Formats: sequence, C-alpha cells, structure tokens
Amino acid sequence: MTKNAIEINNLTKKFKDFTAVDNLSLTVKEGEIFGFLGPNGAGKSTTIRMLCTLAQPTSGSAKVAGYDLIKDSAKIRQNIGLVAEKMIMYDRLTAAENLRFFGKLYSIPKQRLEERINELLQLVDMQEWRNTQINKFSTGMKQRINVIRALLPEPKILFMDEPTLGLDPQTTFSIRDITREINKEGMTVILTTHAMAEAEALSDRVAIIDHGKIAALDTPQNLKNMISQGDTTVFSTKISNLSSKIINKIKSLNTVTAVAQQDDYNLKISAHGENPLNEIIDTIREEGGNITSVTNSKESTLEDVFLAVTGKQMRDQATEKAAPIHHGHGPAPKARVR
Amino acid sequence: MMNINKILKDSYHVMAKDLLEFRRNRMQLAALFMMPLIFLLMFGFIFPSGGTQQHMPMGVVNLDQGQGSNEFIAQLNLINQNTSSMDFKTYSSIDEAKTAINQGKIYGAFIIPPGFSDNVTNGKSGDFTVYIDNSNPQSSMQVQQALSSTLNGINNMEAEANVLELANETNQQVNPQAIIFPYVLNVSTTIPGETNYFNFLAPGLMIMIVMMTVMTGIPEAISKEKEMGTFDGMLSAPINQVSVILGKTAALCTKGFVQCVIVLALAMLLFGVTIQGSLLLAFFMLLLGIFSFIGIGILAISMSGDQASGTMIVNLLMFPMIFLGGVFYPLQQMPWFMQAISQFIPLTYAADAMRKIILLNAGIGDVLFQMLILVAFGVVTMAIAVPLFRKSMTR
Repeated sequence: MTKNAIEINNLTKKFKDFTAVDNLSLTVKEGEIFGFLGPNGAGKSTTIRMLCTLAQPTSGSAKVAGYDLIKDSAKIRQNIGLVAEKMIMYDRLTAAENLRFFGKLYSIPKQRLEERINELLQLVDMQEWRNTQINKFSTGMKQRINVIRALLPEPKILFMDEPTLGLDPQTTFSIRDITREINKEGMTVILTTHAMAEAEALSDRVAIIDHGKIAALDTPQNLKNMISQGDTTVFSTKISNLSSKIINKIKSLNTVTAVAQQDDYNLKISAHGENPLNEIIDTIREEGGNITSVTNSKESTLEDVFLAVTGKQMRDQATEKAAPIHHGHGPAPKARVR
Repeated sequence: MMNINKILKDSYHVMAKDLLEFRRNRMQLAALFMMPLIFLLMFGFIFPSGGTQQHMPMGVVNLDQGQGSNEFIAQLNLINQNTSSMDFKTYSSIDEAKTAINQGKIYGAFIIPPGFSDNVTNGKSGDFTVYIDNSNPQSSMQVQQALSSTLNGINNMEAEANVLELANETNQQVNPQAIIFPYVLNVSTTIPGETNYFNFLAPGLMIMIVMMTVMTGIPEAISKEKEMGTFDGMLSAPINQVSVILGKTAALCTKGFVQCVIVLALAMLLFGVTIQGSLLLAFFMLLLGIFSFIGIGILAISMSGDQASGTMIVNLLMFPMIFLGGVFYPLQQMPWFMQAISQFIPLTYAADAMRKIILLNAGIGDVLFQMLILVAFGVVTMAIAVPLFRKSMTR
C-alpha cells in the first residue's frame, strides 16, 4: 500500500483582498514526482511556502509526511527539504561552510555531516570547489550547491520551486538528472515550474494551476490525450497580415475557447466541436487575413493543454518575469561550468 | 516542543555563521574599528572641554599713569604669570582698545581711569573698568572667570600686606590669612586627580555605541536574510525562531563588545580616563543595556516589511535616545520637559549606571534601580516584539 506524502484539504491563502491559493485540495503519493505547472502568480510558490510551514494558511488544512501543517510544523520541518526560488546560501561562506551550517540546524552528528557533505558534493561533481566562497561561483554552480543543501538531512519530501529557472541547458539537465536519481531512491519530489518541458520530462503527475485553483490534474500523457482524443483541438496558424481585428473576430466564435498570439504572425487557437477548423479559416479570410500555414500537430504538448484548460497561453506570462533576480556580488564568476 | 539545549545550540550556530560572514567582510570590519574612534575623537573635541582657556588676549589702557596704577598692573602681571590665563597688550586710549576688540584681536580691555592712584593712596577703593566682548558668551565667561580669580589674588595680596602692617603698628602676632578668610573651603572629589569631559563621556559612549550596533544591526541582519531568501532556509529547518533572534543578537553583542573595548582603550590611552570600578560589573551592565534595546530593534523589523523602513524606524527612535539619554550632556542641564522625556529612555539608565560603575566604583547595590528598570524595559518590549516577529515570519 502506498501512503500519501501530502494531503491537502481546501487550502486557502489570502493576502488582503487577493486570493493566492483558492480552496486547493489534492494528494501526492509517496515516491511521486508531482509537478505544479502554472504561470507566475498562479499560487504555486505560495502553496509550497505553506507546505514548508513558511506561510500560514488562511483556511483549510494539510498533512505533510503524515504530520499536520499547523500542529506539527516542527516535525514537518524535520522531514522536508526546500529548494526555493531564491537560492538559500551565504555568499561569503564557502560551499562546505554553507552546507555545514544548515546541516547543524538539522542536528546531524558531526562525522555523519562531513560524510554527507562529501557524498553530495560528489553527486554534483563539485568536490574541488568545496572550500571556495559562493560569490566566486557561476549561477549554475550555485544552484547545484543549493540543491544538495536541501538534500543534506535526507528529507522524505523535497520541494523544488522553479529549480531550473535562469539556468543554462547543461545545468538544467544535470539538475533534472539528480532529481530523477533521488526520486528513484524513494524521495517524494514536489516541483513547481512554468516550463512545460520540465513538467513533462520529470513529473509523474502534473497539476495545472491558475489563479490559485487546479485547472487540470493527471499524468502528462493523460493530460495530452485529453486534447487529442477529446473534443478539443489545438492548432497553430501563421497569418502574414495578422491584426488585432482578426484575433478579436476569431475569439468571438462560439467554437473557439482560447486564442494566444505567439508573435507578429503566429496564433495558437484552441477550439471545440466537430470540425472547427473550416469555420475559423473562413473567418480569417473574411477579415482579409492571408493564411500562410496551418499546423495541427498529432502530438499535442502540455502547452496546448494549458491553453485549452486555462484559455491563456503560458509563454506570455512566463516572459513577464524577465531575467531572474540574482544577487550579483563581485566580478563575473571565475569558476568554469562543466 | 524543542528543548532549551537545542535552542541554545542553534543560536550558537547562527551566531557563529553571522560572525564568520562578518569577518569575511573587510569593509564592515574596518567600520567596526573606525566607528568608536571617530565618535570618541569627534565628540571629545567638539564639545567644550570644561578646562580654563589660556593666553586670552586682553588689552590694558592706563589713563592714570600714577604709581598706584603701575603697581596694580605689575601685580596683575605677577598673578597672571602663574596661570598664564591672559596675555596683556597695552593700548593708549579706550577707542584704540575698542577697535582692537571689534577686530577680534583682544577679548576685552582693562581700563584704569584717571585718579586711580590718588584713590588708592587716599584710602579709597581703586575702581577700574573691564570692557568685555560678550558677543561670544563662551569666551566672555572664561575672561570673567580669569578676571575674578586674578583680582581675588591681588586683593588677597594687598589685604595680607595691610593686615600685617596694622598688626605691626599695634604689636600683635596675627595670621593674616585667618583674618581675611576666616572660612576655608577644602574641595574633595569623588574621583582622585583631575577629571575631564572624557571621564563623563566614555562610559555613556560605550553603552551608546553598543546600542547603535544592536539596534541598527537587528533590522539589517534579519531583513537582509529575508530579502536574500536565506531566511527561508533557516525557518524551513527544524529550529525555533527564537534561536534566530538569539543567535543574531549574540553576534551583534560580540561586535558591540569589541567596540566597547576599543572605546575604553582609546579613552584610557588618548584621553587619560581612569577606571575606578569593576570592569566585570561594567560589562554585565553593558549586557543588560543590550537586553533592554533588542526588543525595540525586533519590533522595528516586525512592523516593517523591508530593510529600508526597518532602519528608518530605528533611526527615528535612536536619535532622541542619543541626545536625551544623557550621554553627551548631563541631564540636569536640560529643561524639565526634556528631563521628563529622558526618564522613558533606557539609555538614560544604562549610561547613568555605567558612569557610576566606571567612575565611582559603584557596586551592584548602588545601581540596582537602574538594573531593574532596564530589565523591565527589556522584558516589556520583548514580550511585545517576539510574538510580532514570529507572526511576521510566517506572513
């Protein structure tokens, strides 16, 4: 029998008038990689913060690792690791000093702690940087230390809030590899991301979350099937003289559920019904639109699912948040990234 | 419930981490040493030292030119030789002396009127005028002090001669001093030897610097970590929030202590301050002072979300404390309403007790009242601040 790592019941978080998390309920099984997929401000980070006992829920309850969020917050903290969006590290301390400091807070015995630090540095292939101050590291190196810092106490559940945001592809892949590896050893991983590919590549199940609510929850494959086998069609079209007038006209069609503009020419359209394509093409041409191409890929992506279930395109909101904030101290990283 | 042992251990880890970070920051390290030095030099030299000024330029206008006035001027010079408080310059007319005053060349002028010698030889009092520039009240006061003591000296000399003369005429054996000054005052001071403004300043300055370090340090230390995101790392670990406060305070106390030792060493080496009392008690007092201030610092950071507004609140509270806490001026010299306000400032009690311990060798019994007030102040502010802080941490 598999136990539940996390049980969330009607969890709500309000900041004054703004509801960040709205009556959220879900369960995460032990040993799962569970992905929260959603744009910035959807409530992913707030949910994670509540589950890590860093924020008080306004109402509702949750059990993390079998412990009640409110009553047993201290026990929860014994059993979780957190990779937050901002890196949890002190710039003026070396990699080992950072790890040692946090390890001590978990009361890990001295000798065991040193062993564990060596093990983990080896895991991310950074033993030779052990006594270098963090401010000399590149962003990718910092994030590797940040991830193993969360793994120090061998937590049952690892929370990762946007773990690959702003990283180069190499580091991104290596972080994903580590995530899979530790998951294989039995650790439950809760992941938030606004990168479709990441959610798809890592997660056993994905919750698409928007405005603090779950829009859809299933395995990535089932979510994609929902589109390709169901009533909904998502397709792209390129119009060389795209105008807002055309977009508005398409939006006004009954069959169309969502329209997302990707650039000056390309539109992504989500529609339902028997054969919505003809009607949409007719409408575009009536408005004087010059269609250069229409693509209806067989293999839909989570991105399409997101558009279909939220009526919005992920990418627009994702780019709202430009470069992630780094605490740039000192000169450019001298250390090389492998 | 986490036990005390774990809380203290975690506090120690937080403190050690903070100090290590601090040690690696060269700028902050330099500031740690510079601040007490600058404060001591600055406040030591801008405030009046209290000692008498020397070589004040004074004019002498002798309109009499008789034997009496020449003798008087000779005696004036003789008395002044001991103290060198004034330098004399002769002018031929009142107008000339007044011009010199207006040009700032002299602080004032002795004007000996015509007929001075006649008055003296005929048994009348030798009246003369001193014209003083009181556009600068400070130096005017100094001049008047020097004048009255010099004149006292001359009068004393004259009186002694006169008494001896009278005694000889009547064949009596007398002690002229006992006749002229039947009452003699012996001033005995609490602190042996001469004291200066630094004796007053140093103890208060020590506690004030610690206060500034701790009060500005807490919002800074906490909100920096909050903004960097490292706070989440500590708070998602199984530690009590109290450990974070304790550890950070302990780190700040260590810095404050180092600064205190610097203040004390500089005050002793450069300004001749002496320690009469127990250093141990003084440092204990320092700890109590810190305890009374922390609550305010924590309150400031709990009420404000970010570092900038936290620091602003602290500064708002700190400045009145510095000036009304009796560190630079004796409280007794302030108007009554300012004195009333200063009664509500913990620094007042801490500085007062510190001064008593260091300068007067006061024991615990002598400063018990101040200690109780500081403990009460600390307990009340902490009781308000700590729950607020915990709440603000999980917003």
